[in-house]
Amino acid sequence: MTDRLESEGDWRFHARTVTKAFGDLLANDGITLQIRPGEVYGLLGPNGAGKTTLVKQIIGLLKPTSGELTLGPYDLIEDPDAARQLCSYLPQAQMPIDSFRARDVIRLTGMIRGGESGAVTARTNEMIEALDIGEWAETLGIKLSGGVKRLVGFAMVSVWPGRVVILDEPTNDVDPRRRRLLWEQVRRLGDLGSAVLLVTHNVLEAEKSVDRLAIINEGRLIAEGTSSSLKAEDRGRLRLQLMMVPGHPTPELPDFVQHNTRVGNNVMNVISETDATVGIGWAQELMARGVAEEYALGATTLEDVYIRLTGHTSSNGNATL
Amino acid sequence: MTSMATASIAVHPVRSGPAHWLQSYVHMTRWELGSLRLLLPLIVALQMVIGGGFALGIGLFFDEIPVRNALFLATGVAVVTLITVGIVMGPQLVSNHKVAGTYDFLWSLPVPRTTQAAAWLTVNTIIAIPGMVAALVIADWRYDLTLQVSPAIVPAVLLTIGTATLIGYAFAHAIPKPMITNMITQLLIFVILGFSPINFPPENLPGWLAAVNEWLPFQHMAAVIRAALTEGLVDNVGRSYVVLVVYTAISALVAAWVIGRRD
Ligand SMILES: Nc1ncnc2c1ncn2[C@@H]1O[C@H](COP(=O)(O)OP(=O)(O)OP(=O)(O)O)[C@@H](O)[C@H]1O
Ligand SMILES: [Mg+2]
Repeated sequence: MTDRLESEGDWRFHARTVTKAFGDLLANDGITLQIRPGEVYGLLGPNGAGKTTLVKQIIGLLKPTSGELTLGPYDLIEDPDAARQLCSYLPQAQMPIDSFRARDVIRLTGMIRGGESGAVTARTNEMIEALDIGEWAETLGIKLSGGVKRLVGFAMVSVWPGRVVILDEPTNDVDPRRRRLLWEQVRRLGDLGSAVLLVTHNVLEAEKSVDRLAIINEGRLIAEGTSSSLKAEDRGRLRLQLMMVPGHPTPELPDFVQHNTRVGNNVMNVISETDATVGIGWAQELMARGVAEEYALGATTLEDVYIRLTGHTSSNGNATL
Repeated sequence: MTSMATASIAVHPVRSGPAHWLQSYVHMTRWELGSLRLLLPLIVALQMVIGGGFALGIGLFFDEIPVRNALFLATGVAVVTLITVGIVMGPQLVSNHKVAGTYDFLWSLPVPRTTQAAAWLTVNTIIAIPGMVAALVIADWRYDLTLQVSPAIVPAVLLTIGTATLIGYAFAHAIPKPMITNMITQLLIFVILGFSPINFPPENLPGWLAAVNEWLPFQHMAAVIRAALTEGLVDNVGRSYVVLVVYTAISALVAAWVIGRRD
């Protein structure tokens, strides 16, 4: 604990105009952001937006073409050794745990991260319990299901967290109940003082659990703020969602539809609150004509902001009806 | 209960120095051994079969094999088993890691990268030695040899494995495509077996090829191991040791550079 007190000071994480080119492709284009200790920061964006590229540069797996990455007094680009000690990282890719028992590999990672044996053991048990993966604690990685593997990976990264904890899509394949447990542990990493940088496609879960978030599209940071500040522009708007009869083309849109996206058979329309009545009338008429099967009218969510800004739906775009 | 564990999560200063290196090396060796746990018995058994089989197989070329030639071949086979682990088995294990995409995590661990190479070397040594011993024991029994093992076997084996493993490790990491790595390992081993004087004396090669081999490590590996296992078969292995030390050092530097590099 004393280390922790002594090391107080400015331990903010900064990315300044980080640019990463792969040949002609700008995977990151002038990204600037900062994360405070204790803050959970969400990074959202469609496939190929450049999220993984950004986090790999922080941990030193890639080198920025230009820009700065700093954590407190450390230059993470100049000093990748320090970067690896100060940041823990759950990659989007597989974890190499096939031949390890879950408990052993969580513990070993804690030791590698510099934890003292007894404390690491206690913390390992704590993580196993908190994520409710006790029944697989003695199982070899090769026999674990995809979701449990992901949870073990998360436990490995969180058992002895760095000042920055980078999580690249930690909730992939995890069941809804354990996903909630995982989000609780993400919050606890913040409480322990880590700055958490969390990449996710799940806009609605992120909305509930992150302090601030950024949306990245085509390598550029296109929006940043708290979830409510990002939604401010959508105040006074509603989402009118139509489930089309499979295969039916999108109907002609009336003028009051301000914005519209279609994914599969799901058409999402943003309308003004004052058009709610006409909107419902329109939807009912489409159902009567056999064009739509169902509709739902609700408050706009971060999802709608995300769709408006990126032109994409997030992973759970279909699940919100 | 959480408060107890939580309270002890202290944030460390950035560590460095020999104690940190050594501790990291121990952890990474445990990691490598652990991650091969399922394969290790199989790999070791395979090496022993290869070594032993090779030792028996060479006898089929001859009706009556003179003791001197049998000694030459048996020690050559021992060297071949060591080289195979370093240049074929090692790179293929690295390729497996690459195909599985597991390097992102391994290379984000807070240890000096050189400890990961050192752990790799340690594990390869553990894999290689049983095959070599099997080859010698079987040859010894089959051809009635008298091996004279001298303490020089320790540096001779370590330098041989060190050079072979580090060369394999460096190119497996330098080449992005695992497919290409596997093709190169196949090619290398055939070239080495065919055109380096390990199982036959250098005089059997055309002059220019013998001259080239003077500057490659493979015949020197054979020389030092042979000198450490027999008496009177080779002499003057001083130059061979020098060549191998230089090769080990250079391959260690190249390996360190390759794994330290960021795109
Ligand atoms: N090593 C590489 N070489 C060349 N191009 C790359 C490389 N890595 C990533 N890219 C490209 O950079 C862009 C950003 O990729 P990145 O993996 O960062 O996206 P992402 O936001 O993480 O996407 P996803 O949500 O699918 O994980 C993509 O167009 C990708 O094809
Ligand atoms: Mg990604």
